[in-house]
Amino acid sequence: MMQVTGPVNPCRRLLGLGLLLLAGACCGSCASRTESGEDAEVTTRGSTEVTARLVEIRGEFPENVNYDYAFVMKYEVLQTHRGKVDSDVIYVGHYNPRKPRAAAADERVEQVGGNLVQFRAGDVHRMALESPIDNYFMGGIIDKYFEEKSDPIYWAIWTNRVVK
Amino acid sequence: MPRSVVLIALSVIGVMICSAAPAGEPERDPRARQLAEQVRAKGWIAYSARSDNGTWDVFLSRPDGSQSRNITNTPNYEEAAPMFRSDGKKLLYRQIARGSTVSHDRWGFQGRLVIADPGGANAAVVGQDGQWPWASWSPDGTQIACLVPQGIQIVDLASKKVVRSMPREGIYQQLFWSPDGEWFCGTGNHLGVMWTVVRLHLATGKLNAVHKFQSCTPAWFPDSKHIIFSSRPAGQTAGGGYGWTQLWMAVGDGSSEQLVYGEDGCHVYGGALSPDGQYVLFTKSLKDGGGSEDSGGAICLMRLSDAPTIGGASRELRAKHAGTKDGPVVELGQGWEPCWTYEEIGTAQ
Repeated sequence: MMQVTGPVNPCRRLLGLGLLLLAGACCGSCASRTESGEDAEVTTRGSTEVTARLVEIRGEFPENVNYDYAFVMKYEVLQTHRGKVDSDVIYVGHYNPRKPRAAAADERVEQVGGNLVQFRAGDVHRMALESPIDNYFMGGIIDKYFEEKSDPIYWAIWTNRVVK
Repeated sequence: MPRSVVLIALSVIGVMICSAAPAGEPERDPRARQLAEQVRAKGWIAYSARSDNGTWDVFLSRPDGSQSRNITNTPNYEEAAPMFRSDGKKLLYRQIARGSTVSHDRWGFQGRLVIADPGGANAAVVGQDGQWPWASWSPDGTQIACLVPQGIQIVDLASKKVVRSMPREGIYQQLFWSPDGEWFCGTGNHLGVMWTVVRLHLATGKLNAVHKFQSCTPAWFPDSKHIIFSSRPAGQTAGGGYGWTQLWMAVGDGSSEQLVYGEDGCHVYGGALSPDGQYVLFTKSLKDGGGSEDSGGAICLMRLSDAPTIGGASRELRAKHAGTKDGPVVELGQGWEPCWTYEEIGTAQ
C-alpha cells in the first residue's frame, strides 16, 4: 500500500472536509429519496409493483458459490402500486439472496437489482415483480412453502428497502 | 498458511488425484489395458477439450483415447458439449464467443447451435446466439428438443419451426430425449426441491422424480428405461459436509438406485453410455462442476457390469458401499461432456 508522509496541506484538508460533507449530503439525499422505496426502476420494471412486509424467511440461504438459485420468501402486501396481486400474502422468489440486490445480476439473470442490502424478516420492501417465476427464471428454486400453497410464485426484479 | 500456498497445494493434489494419463499411454493396471483393447475398435467418442490455441474445441478419439483429433479447430470460438445423433451421422454442439467461460450449468443457454458431420465437416450454424437452448436430438434426428422459460419446444430441423410446445414442469437444464421417444429426462425443481433429476412423459406431460437430492447431468441408457446421473449424497464429511459428487443410475421411475462410480477426492460428472449400454463414460475432477470453467476433467471409461466401482482409497465411500467390484477404469485424457457412437467416422477431415 502506498503511504503519504510529510505535513498535510491545509487547503487539501479543507477540500477533503468539503468532499466529506458533500458525500454526506448525497447519502442523506439518497436515504430520504429511497425511504418509500420509490425510484425510476421499481416503478417501471415488471408488471406488478408492491410494498410488502417480509413476513418470514423459512430456512437458511445455502452458501454455495458454484450454484445460483432463487429462494422463495413469504410477504404480506401492504400496498399495490401497479398491477394486481391475488392475495394479501404472496410468495416471492429472490435470486441469489445472499448478495446485495445491486450485486445480484449476472450472466444468468441480468435484470435484477435494487438497493436492498440484506434480507431480514420484518423489513418492508418495495418490489417490481413478474409472475409466475418459471416464465422468467430457469434455475434452481428453493421453495419451503411448496406443500402449503398453490399460489404462483412471484419473481422479484427490483427490490428496494423501505424505511418507515 | 497463506491462501495461495494452500490453493497451489490443493491444485497439485488435485492433479495427482484426478488427472488422466495422456491419451494412448499404456495403463498401469493390466485390466485397464485389456479394457482399452476391448473398446478400441468400437466406434468413436466425441468430447470438448482445450486445444493448443487455448480455446475449447470438439475432439474425436477412439474409445481407448487413441487417434485423438480436433474436428473444429476454431481459434475464434469456444466449442463444447457435442452430442451424436442416434445414427452417428451428425453431431451437434454449442459454439460460443471466444474468451467466454463455458459454464458447467449454463452451457445449454450459451452461444449458438451448430450441426456438423461427425468428423466436423459441413458445420452449419443453426439459429442465432441464445437460440434453441439446451438443444438435444430427437430419436430419429429430424427434430431437436429445446428448453425455454415458457416450456419445452420441439423444433423441426428442416423447417426450423416449433412443431410442439409443452410445459417444462420445473425442468431448467440438461434436457435429453429418450431413445424410444417417449420421455425426457432433465434437471429441475420438483416439490420445492431444486437439483432433482426428473423424467417427463411426452404423451401425458406427467413428471416424476428420479433422484431428489443434489443431482444433475442425467443421460439415458439405450433401453430408455434407465437413467445415469450425478449425485452428491448428504452425510459426507469432506469439505465441511459438502462432499464429493458420484455417478449413479436408476430406473426411470426412481427405483433401483445404484452407485456406478465414486471416488473420494473427485467430483464425477458427464455420465454417458456406449450405444450398447455395456460401457460408461464419465469425467472426474477435483473442482465441482466438471471443470468446464477450466480445462475439463479426466475422461474415464469403465464397464457397466463392474458397477459399483470405487476409485482410490475412498475410505468413507467404501464404508457405505461394501463389496464394490472395483473394476478397471481407463483414463482417456482431459476433456468434458463425452458421448459415444459405434458409427465409423472417416479419418479424413
